[in-house]
Amino acid sequence: MEKILTKQTFPQWIEKLKSYTIYAPVKDEGHWSYEILEDAASISPEYPNAVESPKKIIFPQREILFDFGSQENTGVAVNENLPAEQPTVIFGVRPCDAKALTLTDKVFSGDFEDPYYWKRRNAAVLVGLACNTPPSPNCFCLSVNGSPFSKEGLDVLLTDLGDAYFVEVLTEKGEQLVGAAGNLFSDTPDKTKSEVKKLRTEAEKKITRQVKDADRIPAKLKEIFDEPFWEDEALGCIRCGICTYLCPTCHCFDINDEVASNSPLKGKRVRTWDNCQFPDFTMHSSGHNPRPDKASRLRQRISHKYNYFVELYNEYQCTGCGRCIDKCPVGIDIIEVLNKVNEYGA
Amino acid sequence: MVNIEDLKREAKHLLDQGKVKYIIGYKKGTHGILAAPFFIKTPEEVDDLVWDPTCVHNLTRFLDDEKKKKARQKEPDQRPVGIIVKGCDSRAINVLLQEEFIKREDVYLIGISCENTGVLDEKKLAEKTNGRQVEKVEFAEEDNFVILTDEGKMEIPAREILAERCIECKTNTPVVKDVLFGEDIVRSVAGDFKSLEEIEALSGEERWAFWKKHLDKCIRCYACRSVCPMCYCEECVVDTINFAVTADTSAKEKAQKIKWIEKSPVLSENFVYHMVRAMHLAGRCVDCGECERVCPVDIPIRLLNKKMEKEAKELFDYDVGLDHDRPSLVASFRDEDPEDFIR
Repeated sequence: MEKILTKQTFPQWIEKLKSYTIYAPVKDEGHWSYEILEDAASISPEYPNAVESPKKIIFPQREILFDFGSQENTGVAVNENLPAEQPTVIFGVRPCDAKALTLTDKVFSGDFEDPYYWKRRNAAVLVGLACNTPPSPNCFCLSVNGSPFSKEGLDVLLTDLGDAYFVEVLTEKGEQLVGAAGNLFSDTPDKTKSEVKKLRTEAEKKITRQVKDADRIPAKLKEIFDEPFWEDEALGCIRCGICTYLCPTCHCFDINDEVASNSPLKGKRVRTWDNCQFPDFTMHSSGHNPRPDKASRLRQRISHKYNYFVELYNEYQCTGCGRCIDKCPVGIDIIEVLNKVNEYGA
Repeated sequence: MVNIEDLKREAKHLLDQGKVKYIIGYKKGTHGILAAPFFIKTPEEVDDLVWDPTCVHNLTRFLDDEKKKKARQKEPDQRPVGIIVKGCDSRAINVLLQEEFIKREDVYLIGISCENTGVLDEKKLAEKTNGRQVEKVEFAEEDNFVILTDEGKMEIPAREILAERCIECKTNTPVVKDVLFGEDIVRSVAGDFKSLEEIEALSGEERWAFWKKHLDKCIRCYACRSVCPMCYCEECVVDTINFAVTADTSAKEKAQKIKWIEKSPVLSENFVYHMVRAMHLAGRCVDCGECERVCPVDIPIRLLNKKMEKEAKELFDYDVGLDHDRPSLVASFRDEDPEDFIR
């Protein structure tokens, strides 16, 4: 279903969505982040992309899995803390970030369906905003089977036409959302389709960064696993966690019990994001660390995204959002690393 | 002004003669505005060496890697590492020397004077260039920066886009070096600790609200710690790796290891992390500003460290990193040191 919604009536649509919790990119002191929307008027289509992807809404950096406490006679009592299935709309999701969630979906399903993840995921409606202009100079979605106008993983895709949005309703959830204020949406004039097509072609032209021959990379990564290449590439790495924590597809987590020192049998079991770039990520209790240096950790990050994940799911675990490049303190550039991987030894 | 060809000649000479095992300098980044750290092993690679206002990084941070690497080698190459240091970076070298983390003969210091300017602030530059793509930033006459963009050349007074720390910097010329490029200038700076004025004027409650808002954003990527040349501790309080567990460590011993901080990025834990770091940098932070620059969520971390620097100055008349022959602040005691704050 394709419709037109004027920007003037956009806030009225938001008003009709009172039963949903609404997240949208909000700017605070130059910093864009997805926040719960207080005021419909504060939604702006003029944002590049949020520093942290909507991953953090579906898969928060910290969540309490259950509370536990010991009671006399009855032993230990456990209270599961599953998220409420609160209908949630996330506005302004960039196509790369929506695709990223489809990849995380694979990880949290299969043999074991992660109920914590899926409670939030199923209750979320993703309203995308096509990238007429690439949000970052380091966008490279086209190299990894993505596109600035991709619909993958979205329920609704909006395209900014200046004074109106072209609205593509893609799923049943999307239909419900649009149906909440159906009268605001008008039919699409014939010329709109060609206009959107033109915007898409122009947007794709603006994406200049490229991973060459990405399909050759998985095999190449296997080949060069033991090469000194990694040591050279990682020389500038400072072992921080920016690249992985900001990545919309990274999903590793740790589980800890948080207890007060005076009551070790009462507390919370907590899941937090974990980070393969930290030295303790692979630390064994024996004291042995199979990934003892930054070279092996950089290799892991790249290999997971461009080899292991491909082997498991036949997709890159990278959607080309460019965040790890934008924010790396020392200029480590995954596009450059991947292109060098391809060229290595050739 | 620094002549880049002179700098390259020196670097080539050092490598040709085998005087250093490698040089840590700057190269053009593969993307974006900033330069990137550059590890130069051969004279041929020197051609890619750059020096311009985008060379913001404090390269002394990499001496930690070098030290760890050397410790693992059976017969390590004992030659020094060549390293390019700006004024602020050179003060970091002094602190590392004071603390005996490095020895003077471990490093060959290629000092560069920032003269009357310094390095840029990427965000301030972005405001000036307003969407234009920046291809190059260069030093120019009359303390200006020349910015080459896809829409032509702009010349801006450096002051308008300088990193905050550079505006307050008094050591624009390196205080310890083996060779110096650029003019040895001492410049006057209007008002010490100006950056603190705004926050110090706030009430306790307002300050609490300020830090609460900022530290709530922290994602605990530890980039501020990881980029810091002073955060070289083998065991950081936030890493679980500090539990030295061996085959002989019993389950009980493991259970009794103190967990100083939870992994959860919640306000209380974020506060603990940032306060611990600020305290551990008192009298050690040289205000290179790297922690604040790298923060992905824009926490004004520099204010915490600047405050500690001010305390050290006011209480003990201590200037960080000016002289490596003086004892460090936290490792020294003088009879005249105030003690009225000890209660």
